[in-house]
Amino acid sequence: MPHLDLNNKQLVFKIVYFGPGMSGKTTNLLFIHKKIFDKYKGDMIILDTEEERTLFFDFFPVSLGSVQGFALKIHLYTIPGQVYYEASRRIILEGADGVVFVADSKVDRLDDNVDMYKRMIENLDSFGVDLDTFPIVLQYNKRDFDEIIPLGKIENILELPEDLLVTESVATSGAGVMKTLQLISKEVIRNFQLD
Amino acid sequence: MTETFNSPESSINGTLAELVEKTEALTALLISRHGICLGQAGGGAKLNATALAALVAGMFSATKEVANIVGEEQFSILLQQGEKRHIHISLIGEKSMMVIVFEDYSRIGRVRLAAKKSSPALVRLINKNRKDTTNAIQDISIPDFKEYALNLIDRIFVIGEEEDASP
Repeated sequence: MPHLDLNNKQLVFKIVYFGPGMSGKTTNLLFIHKKIFDKYKGDMIILDTEEERTLFFDFFPVSLGSVQGFALKIHLYTIPGQVYYEASRRIILEGADGVVFVADSKVDRLDDNVDMYKRMIENLDSFGVDLDTFPIVLQYNKRDFDEIIPLGKIENILELPEDLLVTESVATSGAGVMKTLQLISKEVIRNFQLD
Repeated sequence: MTETFNSPESSINGTLAELVEKTEALTALLISRHGICLGQAGGGAKLNATALAALVAGMFSATKEVANIVGEEQFSILLQQGEKRHIHISLIGEKSMMVIVFEDYSRIGRVRLAAKKSSPALVRLINKNRKDTTNAIQDISIPDFKEYALNLIDRIFVIGEEEDASP
């Protein structure tokens, strides 16, 4: 549901980084913000607690340029991962055009990943989103740890579609981060339609 | 489903400018529920409107949850009082909100009244603009749009050498 503003001639898409607490959502956004040239990005807002855990959301806008006379923009958001911030998550997820689910690859976080993925699907479903076409990328983050969840494990447990886009990343070094962003952005654009 | 607005600056921004003049506020903004700035008037406070819009939309939605907890559907007005500057936020229709930043707190009555008075005009303009936009967007060529947008993504979201994360 991108926001089209004819007068200001802009089209804004919203991409949300979702996932359990401490899985690396903010780290993804920080790397992206560092990587993108200044002329394309706005300031980054980080609302976190003293323990550096996201309280409400992180956000920054990217201006990709002009397409058919429209300024094409992508707003990137993260959600707070802690279980008790369910209301905040719903607020931020609403109106999203695509989601990156940042999974924590550490084996002891499997249940947290599965639980949070279920919550995400329930929320999207409650907004009336068509789950068959809604763009989602599942990012297995923290692939530099020794004991990690094998690829496919979360998909198998949740019986996710076989064509689900999956990436691996180490957000602290940036590995896989831009690839994930490219994938989700392209899916969002491909999914765009006027109705 | 595409959320559409066509906000002629002469109208929405004109209405906001009138409000700023009447209340001697620093600035007034119209913001969509999803955090997009739809219009702005008054240059008294140099603000990052994009960031402000995202934050205020989040704040207002959070307050809606608070309202539900205490048995209200939503609170239609939020007031933030600072030492020098204050913010009055009011719901405009179902999908937008107006933010008025002002300094002299003794003007709160005037701000509140002006916000209330301008609300029907803004709702009307938003609805009109939505219709105009729905008609006008048919001109966009979706296949061309997508092809060009995908090229921009390749160019700006550059994948560097650090990118292989396979263990």
